[in-house]
Amino acid sequence: MASRARAEGARAVGPAGGSIPVDLMDLAEARDRDLLRRIERGDEDAFRTLFRRYAGTALALARRIVRQGFLAEEIVQEAFLSVWRRPGAYDEARGSVRAWLMGTVHHRAVDAVRREESQRRRAAEAVVELPDPGEDPGVAVVEAVGLPEERRAVRGALEDLPAEQRQVIELMYFQGLSQSKIAERLSLPLGTVKSRTLLGMRRLRASLAELER
Amino acid sequence: MSQRDHERIEELLAAAVLGGLDPEEERALAEERAAHGDCETCRALERAYADVAGRLAFALDPEPVPNGMEDRLVERISAPLSERAPPLDRGRRALGALLAAAAAVALFAAGWAVRGATAEPPLEGVRILTFQGQGDLALVYRPGERGVVLIGSDLGPLPEDRVLEVWMIQDGRPIPGACLRPTDGRLLTYLDAELGSTEEMAVTVEPADCPDRPTSQPILTADVRAV
Repeated sequence: MASRARAEGARAVGPAGGSIPVDLMDLAEARDRDLLRRIERGDEDAFRTLFRRYAGTALALARRIVRQGFLAEEIVQEAFLSVWRRPGAYDEARGSVRAWLMGTVHHRAVDAVRREESQRRRAAEAVVELPDPGEDPGVAVVEAVGLPEERRAVRGALEDLPAEQRQVIELMYFQGLSQSKIAERLSLPLGTVKSRTLLGMRRLRASLAELER
Repeated sequence: MSQRDHERIEELLAAAVLGGLDPEEERALAEERAAHGDCETCRALERAYADVAGRLAFALDPEPVPNGMEDRLVERISAPLSERAPPLDRGRRALGALLAAAAAVALFAAGWAVRGATAEPPLEGVRILTFQGQGDLALVYRPGERGVVLIGSDLGPLPEDRVLEVWMIQDGRPIPGACLRPTDGRLLTYLDAELGSTEEMAVTVEPADCPDRPTSQPILTADVRAV
């Protein structure tokens, strides 16, 4: 059983062949849920902890989608504000805290992109050099608390996808493109894009679930 | 329910969680589910795919968080009239002192304005921006510095489930500034905001959960560029 395996410190083999300490991921999730419970009681320190833990990933996600640093920061702030205002919106039955939080950021970022009427304008903005965040000596690097096991697992699962499925999922998730836009861009029938999406997502779901057994 | 029903719903759900549906497909998903009825299989599919999508973010390397972003966020959750009221701590006491100082500046400047002066305000560099619309609202700030004070009267009354939301229009886009609820039509509040490239400001009446984009027409506006 999974719980027994975890208690014994079992490790699962990831899709890329890496060894994933499943018990660490469980601990991280338990800690996140505890943070949310404390936030619900108005605990500002818990809120800061959650922010430090996930703001870096949230920023990377938002910036990848909207391609504007200022807007990405605003999206992340709003997402965390919504956590503070409505921590009860998280339903434990619906997955991990980190997935829920990133889902909130993703939804807001995609929404922002969709509000941009002109795709051409986005393209023009995309070629503007973003400042290299590494040049600021005062920034707080968050990798230390950035769930490296989760990163390895997700990257492994993505790498394990057939290239054509990965491409469709990445265009959709990281660039905020709809299936019809992807079909246009790749000159593919819409049905092909839809089937690649479904097959890819089924595979990702299976790979990530496998890691948690 | 047939397997075919679930396959169609699964196809739409898998794309929906990735943000891949066009509006008409989103409607199709909602209609499909409504026709299908609530079922555990659908809920499990939605849960599983939402979790997969949320976790995809971790394929990216985290970015360094800009200096001060955490403090700015915490100041926003600590802002007066926010929906939550956590216990006082050292950070909030510091904010309280800042608020008091800002309020003093605002009152001083407002008093100057009320006296009808037309020359430079007595506080060096301080500007007062007056909103036009339903009620009296003014913004006191110092260009290039973070932090502004809003002073208002004759605002409202508002329904219980509504707040005033302040927007900064930058590059043609409304950026949320703050959600406020006047007391007896009056307010005096400090906002941790920098006008920066703000072109205009607007105030709308919004639901109490402070949406991240306006859902109604502005009741007050101010042209920042005109100052």
